[in-house]
Amino acid sequence: MSWRRGEDEEHEGEEEEIDETDYKTQKDAVLFAIDVSSSMLQPPPDSSGSKKADKDSAVVAALKCAYHFMQQRIIAQPKDMMGVLLFGTEKSRFRDETGGRSGSGYPHCYLFTDLDVPAAEDVKRLRELVEEGEDVDNVLVPSKEPVSMSNLLFCANQVFTTNAANFGSRRLFIITDNDSPHGGDKNAKSSAAVRAKDLYDLGVGIELFPVARGDKKFDLSKFYDDIIYQNPTEEQADEIKTSKLGDGLTLLSSLITHINSKQTPKRSLFSNLPFEIAPGLTITVKGYMPLHRQVPARTCYVWLGGEQAQLAQSETIKVDSETRTVEKSEVKKAYKFGGEYIHFKPEEQLALKDMGGSILRIIGFKPRSKIPSWASVKKSTFIFPSEESYVGSTRVFSALWQKLVKSQKVGIAWFVARKNANPVLVAIIPSGNLSEVEEDESPSPWLPDGLWLYPLPFADDVRNVDISQPPKPADELTDKMREIVQNLQLPKARYDPHKYPNPSLQWHYKILQALALDEEVPEEMDDLTLPKYRQIDKRVGQTLHEWKAEVAEKAKGLMEVRSLKRELDDVDPDRPVKRAKAPPSGAMSNAELKAAFEADTLKKLTVAVLKDILASKGLSTVGKKAELLEKLEQWIEENA
Amino acid sequence: MADKEATVYIIDLGESMADCHNGRDESDLDFGMRYVWDKISTTVAANRKTWTLGVVGLNTDETNNPQDAQQLQGYEHISVLQEIGPMTMTSLRGLKSQIVPCTTSSGDAISAVVVAQSMIETYTKKLKYNRKIILVTNGESPIDDDNVADVAERLNQNNVQLIIVGVDFDDPEYGFKEEDKSSLKRRNEKSLRKLADACNDGVVGTMQQAVEELVIPRLKPVRPFKAYDGPLTLGDPSKHASALSIQVERYFKTKRATPPSASTVVDADRSAFTQTQGFDDEDTEMGGTGFSGVKQMRTYRVDDPDAPGGKRDVEFEELEKGYQYGRTVVHISESDFSITKYETKKGFSIIGFIPFSSYDPFINMGETGLIVASKFNEHAETALSALIHALFEVESYAVARYVNKDGAQVQILLLKPNPGIEDEFECLYDVPLPFAEDVRAYQFPPLDKVLTVTGGVLKEHRLLPNKDLNEAMSDFVDAMDLTSFDVDEDGNPVEYAPIDENYNPVIHRINQAIRARAVDPDSPIGPPAEILLRFSQPPAKLIKKAKSEIEVLVDAAEVKKVPEKGKGRFKKNTVKPLSGLDIDSLLGESKRKTISADNAIPEFKQILSSADDHDVIESAVKQMGDIIRKLITDSFADLFYPRAAENLRVMREELTNLEEPTLYNKFLKTLKKSLLSGELGGDRREMWFKHIIGGHLSLITNEDSEVSDVTEDEAKAVSSFLSLMS
Repeated sequence: MSWRRGEDEEHEGEEEEIDETDYKTQKDAVLFAIDVSSSMLQPPPDSSGSKKADKDSAVVAALKCAYHFMQQRIIAQPKDMMGVLLFGTEKSRFRDETGGRSGSGYPHCYLFTDLDVPAAEDVKRLRELVEEGEDVDNVLVPSKEPVSMSNLLFCANQVFTTNAANFGSRRLFIITDNDSPHGGDKNAKSSAAVRAKDLYDLGVGIELFPVARGDKKFDLSKFYDDIIYQNPTEEQADEIKTSKLGDGLTLLSSLITHINSKQTPKRSLFSNLPFEIAPGLTITVKGYMPLHRQVPARTCYVWLGGEQAQLAQSETIKVDSETRTVEKSEVKKAYKFGGEYIHFKPEEQLALKDMGGSILRIIGFKPRSKIPSWASVKKSTFIFPSEESYVGSTRVFSALWQKLVKSQKVGIAWFVARKNANPVLVAIIPSGNLSEVEEDESPSPWLPDGLWLYPLPFADDVRNVDISQPPKPADELTDKMREIVQNLQLPKARYDPHKYPNPSLQWHYKILQALALDEEVPEEMDDLTLPKYRQIDKRVGQTLHEWKAEVAEKAKGLMEVRSLKRELDDVDPDRPVKRAKAPPSGAMSNAELKAAFEADTLKKLTVAVLKDILASKGLSTVGKKAELLEKLEQWIEENA
Repeated sequence: MADKEATVYIIDLGESMADCHNGRDESDLDFGMRYVWDKISTTVAANRKTWTLGVVGLNTDETNNPQDAQQLQGYEHISVLQEIGPMTMTSLRGLKSQIVPCTTSSGDAISAVVVAQSMIETYTKKLKYNRKIILVTNGESPIDDDNVADVAERLNQNNVQLIIVGVDFDDPEYGFKEEDKSSLKRRNEKSLRKLADACNDGVVGTMQQAVEELVIPRLKPVRPFKAYDGPLTLGDPSKHASALSIQVERYFKTKRATPPSASTVVDADRSAFTQTQGFDDEDTEMGGTGFSGVKQMRTYRVDDPDAPGGKRDVEFEELEKGYQYGRTVVHISESDFSITKYETKKGFSIIGFIPFSSYDPFINMGETGLIVASKFNEHAETALSALIHALFEVESYAVARYVNKDGAQVQILLLKPNPGIEDEFECLYDVPLPFAEDVRAYQFPPLDKVLTVTGGVLKEHRLLPNKDLNEAMSDFVDAMDLTSFDVDEDGNPVEYAPIDENYNPVIHRINQAIRARAVDPDSPIGPPAEILLRFSQPPAKLIKKAKSEIEVLVDAAEVKKVPEKGKGRFKKNTVKPLSGLDIDSLLGESKRKTISADNAIPEFKQILSSADDHDVIESAVKQMGDIIRKLITDSFADLFYPRAAENLRVMREELTNLEEPTLYNKFLKTLKKSLLSGELGGDRREMWFKHIIGGHLSLITNEDSEVSDVTEDEAKAVSSFLSLMS
């Protein structure tokens, strides 16, 4: 029952970091509203005939985006919802069964995928519509009369109210090319504005993805400025980026970029954290986690007794040694110590963890180079200023950021993310570049500009690796290797994670998707993390070849020198003769081990020596002598 | 993991140990025991069968040792208090009762060392052990040092380490000298020093220093763990003859140490009287001090529209494993369970190279590894060394695909050259890099310009620093440099807060508190040791030095705290769309007065925001309340609970902001009664516990809102199970 328990616990450790004060269910629901007008359905003008030219109409591009979004969501945010609402369609459809309203309630609105955690069928239906162009129900037929935007917005309102009532984040993505759906109709515009305010009050944010056609600008002031609100938690409005049809870049890719940037709602890890830059100067910041290791979801238990496989929800109860249920109030916390429990009262337990309240406090600065290159232990947290508690936070933060960027310095700070969170010493490192400088120079353009809290290892986290590998001088081998290194630079001379999807994760969901849809299980997959072997051979094969020969030569020389030295040592008269026979524990070379194995003299080694050898090979040292021997012999057979 | 240990503590329990000396208000014995208990409890904490210890009392009233039993001379008033063995809490308690001052002062410390040595010899035989004798004394009883050489010889033969910690012993190195020392003590100190000097591994120290150093956290040594042993390749040796393969070993360089975690327990005696059947469980065996472990039991339920409450229990045996794909459940039979696992082969292969300058350290995802050439492999040594130097010279890192063993998940590692310039150690360090899926694209506005909604760029704005602020910040940062403000004895700059002085405060605080409590269960927990918090504040010296820069910065920043009261409420009535259109005026005459169930939240908020008298608010709350009750009543199982809870949450939030907590509290109390009495369509307890209490929607207390007359305790009472009946 408790398989992968270790992982569970690790996971909980991570979760603990999520801000507790934000108790609203931290889930996200996104409803795509896609305008199905005749202009949106029009294929792009076949201008140049180049390969990169658009072939998809705006509707198809938008649907592809939604499909892409849905698949990503299943992998990365398995608990979050999404839905697809088409508007301006000839047909109307809301919900058949529940909700009470019939389609007529929202004319020319077609709820293609109801808002929910996507099911395999939803994925399939959407895919059929986009990839195979199978519009079985003729949904992609534009209506003759215009759709009422207020109706659309209220329809969205209902979808959110019923399906994602208490979601922490709810967003309506509108994709349209019509900047003036009601022209000069004041009444229609007003009622749309009122419905937009309703959505705002409901807590639903509207994100607009305008599609521009040719040179015509999408003019927000005609209609959408009355519909869109600034996110109350942000100081500045996000820029609304228009996607253009018939550009060099395809509409699809620009839409995908824009929508992907809104893929995850901006969840803060902590907010309103006091950031004490100097004694007497405190500002407030919010924390985010833009980097987070994504792992395949855990297995679940399935009940097969019904018509369909059903998820079994588990509940845990705590029981004592006689399997009597234990009330929460009875439970105490104690530490195992010397075979017994050492108990602390809850208030003592809290006091033990209390190292002063939540704070980020700079204790000084160091040159960036003073952070040892091995000093890494945990992923970093991103911080950004907020004016919530201190007016002026943003400009002070900006000044600090600019200074750190310019001077190549880092701040050293004491960081407690929450009350009772474990304190950690962090280096504050800036990301991004000043805007005067060329944008391309930022090493990680895929990350926002701001400051990062880079956790420094504690002395407790550093392992003492006691291996002597004295440095050698550089020589002609180095020179040739330099050539190889310079010839095999990654594209754009940087590591861009977007080029490396996690193959284990991709495979897992690819197979699951096939199983869920009863499709054929794929045999193989493009693993983009595999090195481009052929290219490596082509580019540096010749050099490598020569280099390898030189290495062999030099290694041979080194070997000779060493054996000569060993011989000299052996004839050293002061050395006790015995020494040559019993090598120092753990220091037997693989060759010596193999020789001993073949001569069947391994069993002469003592248990302590055996254990040392095993440990040095990274093997377990548990067991009786016979078992230890067996382990070692097996290792020698396989490795030496 | 670690070697076996046998340690004997010799504790002077003589008459004079009960006295306080040198201005201390604790006896010499208590003072010395601070050191001993800390050491012993560390051994207990380790909970290792192979870490053994014994205790010998010196100057005990009784005499109880094998040497004396054999009628040897000079072993009077020495008692073996505990034979060598593993240390448990029980033996700790037993020992504690024996550590009391006696009325004797004629035991010979060197004889005691002989007793201890022979205990060790008997116990450890010729096996591999770390042997140690720790002698704690104030040196006030006579010592016969005639056969020091023999004793030392014996200790050396057996590889026994001798540590003598003397209370108020002189230690010029540490800088301690006791004035008015008795001549006996002076002579004894000399004798003991003679003994220690004659030992291969002997040391004499003063207790002051030992106690002082107790606060310095001790790091738990961990033996290096080899994570990988195999080839590091460039190219594919199985396909291309040119491909390079270097035999390497990879170890962990950093690994996150975690604080001890507390177990969940219950008082054992609560259920003790029912303890009839034997229950063999590791956890329950641990009792002893009145606690027993708690286990988790899981029950499983599936949705079933026909069952009461919409859910039905299923047996664990009926269940099989599967995965979720979105909301679709995919069953996978035991036999093809590995089907979703990507097949990988152990390997470590370079993908390409990037310049130092194109890597930001904060993109790494965790712990560092260390890569060296295989031992006794000249080829690997030569090749890896050249690679390290080449990378270093062209200032490049390698990016590599790493699979730790067959079937393991793929990792992408960044390999950093360490040519051993500072640490005399040549290797590659590696850190994990993110995959595409690990990056969340969050957008933030730029920090050195302000973009207007219309696409304009502003360089001067209240959100941007002016020239003065930028200059003040720059001066401040430069003044607060941690690498040069302090110098060592030779005048060289000393880096402040280097990693090897940065102890994990939580780990050491908890461990220290546990040890202290184990020795003395009634001791209160003190404040954290100073050494653990020293990096929580900037160094005072630096603050003093940078005083003027700090003042200039504070002035230039002009940061103002938002008054507490204003938070949360200042947004009222200011919400407008980007165009600034006043929506309320659009509504004009048709201002909303009634709340429809469909659009309850917006309408409720809008009525409240324009409400000008109490009656309007009260009516809105009543309408909203009715909607909530209806949602619950109409809910099939828990279908509408989230919606009802959200309406309730909005009601609570709005009424808190309007400082009308009483209206909410009144409604909630009636709602609770209705929920629990079953008048809202059956068993609605889940709504109360999971959604209202679990969703933090209980009464508005005077901590949430100053005008509330409900205290935190009252709110808790209302939430709790017991008051269900009332």
